[in-house]
Amino acid sequence: MNVKNFIDFSKPFIDATKNTFEKMVFTKLNSGKPEIKKDRVARGEISAIIGISGLKKEDGKQSKFRGMILVSFPTDVYIKIANAMLGESYTEYNDEIKDVGAEIINIVVGGAKATLNEFGLYPEMATPTTVQGVNHSISYLDKADVILIPFTSDLGQFFMEICYSDI
Amino acid sequence: MNPNMKILLVDDMGTMRKIIKKIITALGFSNIHEAEDGIPAWKMIQEAAASSEPFEFIISDWNMPGMTGIDLLKNVRGNESTKKLPFLMVTAETEQANVVLAVKAGVSNYIVKPFSPDQLKQKIDKIFSAPKK
Repeated sequence: MNVKNFIDFSKPFIDATKNTFEKMVFTKLNSGKPEIKKDRVARGEISAIIGISGLKKEDGKQSKFRGMILVSFPTDVYIKIANAMLGESYTEYNDEIKDVGAEIINIVVGGAKATLNEFGLYPEMATPTTVQGVNHSISYLDKADVILIPFTSDLGQFFMEICYSDI
Repeated sequence: MNPNMKILLVDDMGTMRKIIKKIITALGFSNIHEAEDGIPAWKMIQEAAASSEPFEFIISDWNMPGMTGIDLLKNVRGNESTKKLPFLMVTAETEQANVVLAVKAGVSNYIVKPFSPDQLKQKIDKIFSAPKK
């Protein structure tokens, strides 16, 4: 995928993230400049990851693609987001809020699907997972491009990573 | 709407169950039960239907690991004692094909995540203000 196509591919996820935060976290997000990510280290301590795969239909031809969408949060920002979303006042990461990130990424990717369909991409979503730990590494798809997008808000900064690979 | 209406909330994600429970509690409902998946939900629905206190409203997620929301809906509509049970489907899927599938299966209403508390309220109001079939 060339850079322009990758930015087109990323935009539905960025828009869906902003919409999700506005409606369910009651917070306005600003997205920063996307950059190509070269390393495997997550930018936050809690990352929610979802795999996608499906058909790409382009110029009458049909092929397959895979992708991975990730949101990575510093722990304090994750707790603030969970509290805003659930109307709670937790002070530490716990079982009650462990699937907040996974629910967010699930909603974001679901929300991006209709726009991706317009580009000829028809992804199916896997079940989201959560990884936790300082400087945890991410297992990207082979030969995949990864784009890193920072988001800022009143609750703090977090990062989205979008990974794409033709099969 | 009866504030004591017996409601079953079905979602594999605790976060979404918490969010919906909070919204419907704020709307005045208090008789709220929860299931983590379509399989236990269908068992609870059948057991309640056979008792003196059947469920009166189901709010279910679509994508769940054991039994999906759409299969739960088909079970509900396919059973004589539960076929008229109001059923609100909650989903992250924005594809038109999914809406068509849910409507064909007899869903009472459909809400796409993300939603605001007010949007959920409107969907529920619409179900209970619609003429009974």
